Amino acid sequence: MTKWPSTRLIILSSASLHREAWRALLSGQPAILIVDTVADAFEVVPLLQPDQPTTVLVDVLSPQPDLAQQLRTLAPEAGLLFLIQSYELSEVLVLLRAGATGCISRDASLGDLARAIIAVGRGEIALPPHIAGRALAALARGEPVSDDGLIEPLSEREVEVLRLLAQGMTNKDIAQTLILSVRTIEAHLRNIYGKLGVRSRTEAALWAVEHGYGADE
Amino acid sequence: MERTRVAVLGTLAEFHRDPIPYDLAALVKLVAQLGPDLLCLEITRDQWQRRDFSDLSPEYRDALLPLAHQTDIVVIPIADEHLPPEPVAAGWRGKMISLFRRWLATVQRTMSSPDAANQGWRHEMANLLYYLIAVVTGGNALEEWQTHREQLIQQVLEVVKRDPGRRVLVVVNLRHCHHIRPALRKQPEVEVVPYSRL
Repeated sequence: MTKWPSTRLIILSSASLHREAWRALLSGQPAILIVDTVADAFEVVPLLQPDQPTTVLVDVLSPQPDLAQQLRTLAPEAGLLFLIQSYELSEVLVLLRAGATGCISRDASLGDLARAIIAVGRGEIALPPHIAGRALAALARGEPVSDDGLIEPLSEREVEVLRLLAQGMTNKDIAQTLILSVRTIEAHLRNIYGKLGVRSRTEAALWAVEHGYGADE
Repeated sequence: MERTRVAVLGTLAEFHRDPIPYDLAALVKLVAQLGPDLLCLEITRDQWQRRDFSDLSPEYRDALLPLAHQTDIVVIPIADEHLPPEPVAAGWRGKMISLFRRWLATVQRTMSSPDAANQGWRHEMANLLYYLIAVVTGGNALEEWQTHREQLIQQVLEVVKRDPGRRVLVVVNLRHCHHIRPALRKQPEVEVVPYSRL
């Protein structure tokens, strides 16, 4: 059993000073490896490596769903983390629907940003808890979600994990809540995907919201 | 049976408000490089849930907890709700305790890195001084610390049972290291390793 791989980080900003500021701020952060800074979405493509957790941190003046769509097309496997001014649900939803993986406020702490970069690199939706559940519920309303029953019953622990997933928690949050390692949560999620017949975390989360797992007890 | 690798790292956590002689960044770097799945800390569940870290040592408050917050390291509070009080006494006992503490502080000041706190004569000397302080304090001091250690060991074993096969780093005051390591070694499901080999 080895330690986790570092998340590869690509910083996208049109302003040179912003790029250098982000590089200076985030270099040396544990578990994050800055690959490069770029000014244009097309420059991201040659920096991608398959099977490596990668996050593109997008720092633009106003949220641009077009940019999110473009990046999603160019870098389908990468996590896209957008810096936003505030957590307006409508703004967040537009970005998520366009392909963003997560959003983080410019008022967030450096620790929260680092945590979001790591989570988004794994494809987790990174949003603060107060908005994550609402965002998932709104997404679930607009998405066709498989209404098939379970292929196999979930264990008690898997139900717990699915509930927390439906509340928009990241793997780390779920792990900390259940006092289990992140690796164990990942293993539970793989089992859950199989039992739900879904292919991704987002599908599982939407399934869970649709089936009432996200509701407060 | 899947054995769980556990390493025990000693800190100088008793010196709550004293500056740590070595750069805390060295501790952060060390633990970040180790990248444990689970980090067992000598804090109570209540402290953890209230996020009340004001009374914790700088090693926890300013280094390990922020590191865990921004990485995949999951923190597990393993201390009993009632931490034993630091030994105090009146008269000659009090004077002896003060003397031993001064020696401890001297040993502490010569520790230039987390490694220095965990190996060699400083580690042994600090352990001995802590033991002498508890002996001189008298009363139930030794028993109280032993009970506290048993709680720490029990909690680590529960972590191992709940999430086997993970890499567990236990970071506690170095007065406990000499007791926790042998106790964990007796458990077939645990493989105690030096922290450098976690």
